[in-house]
Amino acid sequence: MKISLDWLADLVSWDDTPQDLATKLTAAGLNVEEIGEYAQSWPGVVVAKVVSCERHPDADKLSLCKVDAGSGESVQVICGAPNVREGLQVLFATVGSVLPGDFKIKKAKIRGVESFGMICSGAELGLDSDAAGIIELEGDHALGTPADDLFGHRDTVLDIEVTPNRPDWLSHLGVAREVAAIYRTKVTPPPVLKPGQGGGFGWKVEIEDYDDCPRYTAHGADDVAIGPAPRWMQNRLRAIGQRPVNNVVDITNYVLFELGQPLHAFDRERLAGEVISVRRAGRKQSVATLDDESRQILAEDLVITDGDGPVALAGVMGLANSQVTEGTSTILLESAFFSPRLVRVCSRRLGLVSESSYRFEREADWEMVRFAAHRALHLLQEFAGATILGDAVDRAYPDYVAPEGLALRVHQANRVLGTDLDMEQTADLLQLLGLKVQPLSSQIEGKTVNLMVEVPSFRRDLKQEIDLVEEIARVHGFDQGLGQGTGHVLIPGRRRALRHEVERKLRSWLPSQGYTEIVTSTFVARSDIDGLGLAEGDVRLECLAVLNPQHGGETLLRTSLVPGFVDVARRNLNSGAPAPVRLFQIGRVFWPAGEKAQEVRHEQERLLPEEPWLLQMGIAGGSGGKGLGGIPTDMQELRGVVAELSGLLRVPLSLIPADVEPYLIPGLQWEIRDAGGNRVGVAGQIDSGAAKRLDLDHVAGLVELDLGRLDLTPLPVRYEPFSRFPAVKRDLSLLVPDTVTYAQLDAVVRDTAGDLLESLELFDIYAGKGIDDGHSAYGIRLKFRSAKGNLKGKTVDMALERTLGALSETLAVRQRTQ
Amino acid sequence: MQEAIDRLRAEGLSRIAQADSPDALESVRVGLLGRKGELTGLLRGLKDVSDDQRPAAGAALNQLKLELTAALENRTGDLAGAGAGSMDLDLTLPGRAPVQLGTAHPLLSVLEEICDIFYGMGYDRGDGPEVELDYYNFTALNFPDDHPARDIQDTFFLNEDMLLRTQTSPVQVRTMERVQPPLAYVFPGRVYRNENADASHSSEFYQIEGLRVDRNISLVDLRETVNAFIASFFGGERQTRFRPHFFPFTEPSVEVDMECVKCSGKGCGVCGQTGWLEIMGAGMVHPNVFKAAGYPDDAYTGFAFGMGIDRIAMLKYGIDDIRLLYENDLRFLNQFRGVL
Repeated sequence: MKISLDWLADLVSWDDTPQDLATKLTAAGLNVEEIGEYAQSWPGVVVAKVVSCERHPDADKLSLCKVDAGSGESVQVICGAPNVREGLQVLFATVGSVLPGDFKIKKAKIRGVESFGMICSGAELGLDSDAAGIIELEGDHALGTPADDLFGHRDTVLDIEVTPNRPDWLSHLGVAREVAAIYRTKVTPPPVLKPGQGGGFGWKVEIEDYDDCPRYTAHGADDVAIGPAPRWMQNRLRAIGQRPVNNVVDITNYVLFELGQPLHAFDRERLAGEVISVRRAGRKQSVATLDDESRQILAEDLVITDGDGPVALAGVMGLANSQVTEGTSTILLESAFFSPRLVRVCSRRLGLVSESSYRFEREADWEMVRFAAHRALHLLQEFAGATILGDAVDRAYPDYVAPEGLALRVHQANRVLGTDLDMEQTADLLQLLGLKVQPLSSQIEGKTVNLMVEVPSFRRDLKQEIDLVEEIARVHGFDQGLGQGTGHVLIPGRRRALRHEVERKLRSWLPSQGYTEIVTSTFVARSDIDGLGLAEGDVRLECLAVLNPQHGGETLLRTSLVPGFVDVARRNLNSGAPAPVRLFQIGRVFWPAGEKAQEVRHEQERLLPEEPWLLQMGIAGGSGGKGLGGIPTDMQELRGVVAELSGLLRVPLSLIPADVEPYLIPGLQWEIRDAGGNRVGVAGQIDSGAAKRLDLDHVAGLVELDLGRLDLTPLPVRYEPFSRFPAVKRDLSLLVPDTVTYAQLDAVVRDTAGDLLESLELFDIYAGKGIDDGHSAYGIRLKFRSAKGNLKGKTVDMALERTLGALSETLAVRQRTQ
Repeated sequence: MQEAIDRLRAEGLSRIAQADSPDALESVRVGLLGRKGELTGLLRGLKDVSDDQRPAAGAALNQLKLELTAALENRTGDLAGAGAGSMDLDLTLPGRAPVQLGTAHPLLSVLEEICDIFYGMGYDRGDGPEVELDYYNFTALNFPDDHPARDIQDTFFLNEDMLLRTQTSPVQVRTMERVQPPLAYVFPGRVYRNENADASHSSEFYQIEGLRVDRNISLVDLRETVNAFIASFFGGERQTRFRPHFFPFTEPSVEVDMECVKCSGKGCGVCGQTGWLEIMGAGMVHPNVFKAAGYPDDAYTGFAFGMGIDRIAMLKYGIDDIRLLYENDLRFLNQFRGVL
């Protein structure tokens, strides 16, 4: 809301700089976002007289003029306006002056004749839209008088952020009330004109449903002379960013910004019949609004109709069929109170937010309906030559009751605000806002009430006690006089819940392993999900879609973190990040509602999706190198990281080879299992088909862990004594058939080597020369240790013998002989 | 024999000590312990010693061999160490750690940092769904149906009842439905607004909500808490001011400004010359919200506050475009190495 201080000063007085006023308004909740200096000024433009005017020797439509700008010498200037003639007083832009639009006036040569300046039109000065001819000044002005003396205007304009609960601040009057509260002065209402009882206005108003339109007033004015509004009114409208049109339109606008009440003027000649009806449109139809747009309205939209049909969309905008034009001489002035909900629904559906709808949907001021009309009548009489008719119509909801008073408990205000105000102080603060306060001491519903506050019609936002408490805080000021708190510290040093502790650990440990955390978008496109190649029936194909996406296209909620990872990896690798990139993210995905086991408070909650909480890490852009046993080194690393992560979190995790995801290479993926053997994640390398579909030109390995499904309770730490005796190491070279997996080998060794086996480590795999076909040579190192004493070689040999026997028997694994 | 052994010990040790290069030491070693060395000679001479003296002499010779071997090893080590400087190594060559450090995302690090401050003040951390019911996001928070207050937050809808939460505030009601006061919580998380992205807007961003409810919590408690947080996070004595504002779910509602982090209130580009930075919205929990949570009338008072984590991260690190936080460009992220 833009507030002109020149205008505001008509309604209230204050003695402060604009900056200090702005600071105080901000402290009162009218956040002043900008203090603008408005200047309508044309340095170098002066009054001049056309002393001679002849046709340009080389151009029919140009005139060669001489003007006197007060210096007594005449200046030669070329003018293209049809209305230029000798003897006129005009506004003359001298060489060097700058007109709106950064238009610099220079000496020029036009069709061979020199021109020293310009005779201005209203459009060139930004005064009006008349570009057809030059301004013909009326009256006799001293030549050389600056144009600023005639038309200039300087103003300071505050741009105020108005919250939706305070429609009363959408006017100069509303802001004036706050200024009066701040400076403890009074508001001076503007002059109004009440219509007499004299008759002459025979119109009737019918209201179909008072819930749709609780109040409607209609006033008549005759003998209207359409013309420009007075200069000061135009200036004020311009200062707050409005474009003057003509006196009638400007007056309705002026009253809207002054008092906050939207008005509409109909051309009475263009209305059929003598009955205005406020009703639902009844059928779908298309209408032309006065902004020259054709719009579809629905049966349930509220309209104003004459004998023929709609003439206005109630509270939103008038229609072109009845608008005031140059030829208008009689008007019907509407001032009403429409249902905020209906105005809002219609305005939103049409995408048509007008100054009028903006105010009506925030609720109009009941008492202002008539006052604003009277204000407009006064201005019409003064500045449009109107004759005001008697017999105005004011139809109002017959059951309308002014809002009841609000009871306030002073101790409750003190309790919420931490203040120590007594009854008198509280009453004083509220009275500053123009609220009427009655002290009382009585029991209402068992509560001791101290004050009864009458709520004026312009403060319908005050609905309950807490609203008054806020007013007290606002006027009292948040910076002063507040007492002591109860102390902000409760129980010092709360600890993170387990899941947040886990997140914290991961976020600190993974970077130390070279992984960088990313934050990717919840939104994905269909192609991202399709790229995963999921099997029919996979829950992740059923993405939730946004009903009102930003860019028209389909916007889905992600059901997988993979597209986000791929996107970040691709962009970084393409912009030259050193390969490979190691990334991780902890994020939510959204799976359509499944069965909700727990009881829900609201039945609709069953519709909410599951929001699994996933950890994903991956390596992209690796060299594709192979490690032990031909496994890609990136996957080896990720496997190792999972094993270490299991240790970090003290949560057992195991990786079992299994083909789980269609977007990972078959035979090169694992499922991750928890201690109970449940699948809690997956690891693998992205399949080339999926990579192509996801537009990734690089090798990428991924691990995904469902942290929400994993029991994160860490294994307890309990000290166990360890052996201080030396270990005995034995390296074995085993000839292993290719059908045998390392896991099988490992299991047999651990089962048979006995309690003395401390560790088993695979350090080499070799196939090729010197090794039987269909076999590989595994180098493994066994470490034995006893808690009771030094191990004898013989004891270890016995254990080894047992193990080698079992390996040979069950897996056909033999010790390799040199 | 014993004499010969003692002499060799003295001479041997002195020769070892005097050797000044690995080569010289090697020839000392050969002279003592080599096949034709002096100690080897003495060992060969054992066979000429009488039977009763032979064991003692043997033991003494073995002892000497160990001593000389140890001395040789020590001297080898000394010479190697001393030689390093003269081996002409370029000690300015870069080192190489087994892994290069990655980075935690600064946005989430700031989120954790804020949580830490509130853990210290006795707050718990709670969570709620990002796909939320209209009921929790608006209705239970005292947003009337069909009211312009709903326009403040441009909403992504999924269907008539379901939307992407526009604020972390719905977790307030969800928590109060389960937990009886006294309670103190922070609720950080991702929120969504249907706004076009520019340098200061993103359609996805992070907020943190705070809630404290007890029998007699007042605006003063809110003020002290906010000031304690700002002092802890931004450091130093920093002025704050409460500006009345409007949020449907708090009343009185305020916006909290703090002295600009860059110019300390003098006015600069960061604060739009005002000297103040808007840091959070806050207020006293509206009685209608307590009602939605099922608390009895007038039983409790409380405060709530909410702030944008992105904005705070941007202030803290001088980031001028919110989109950097969501591009995940490693050239950006790598600058936050070591920040946790």
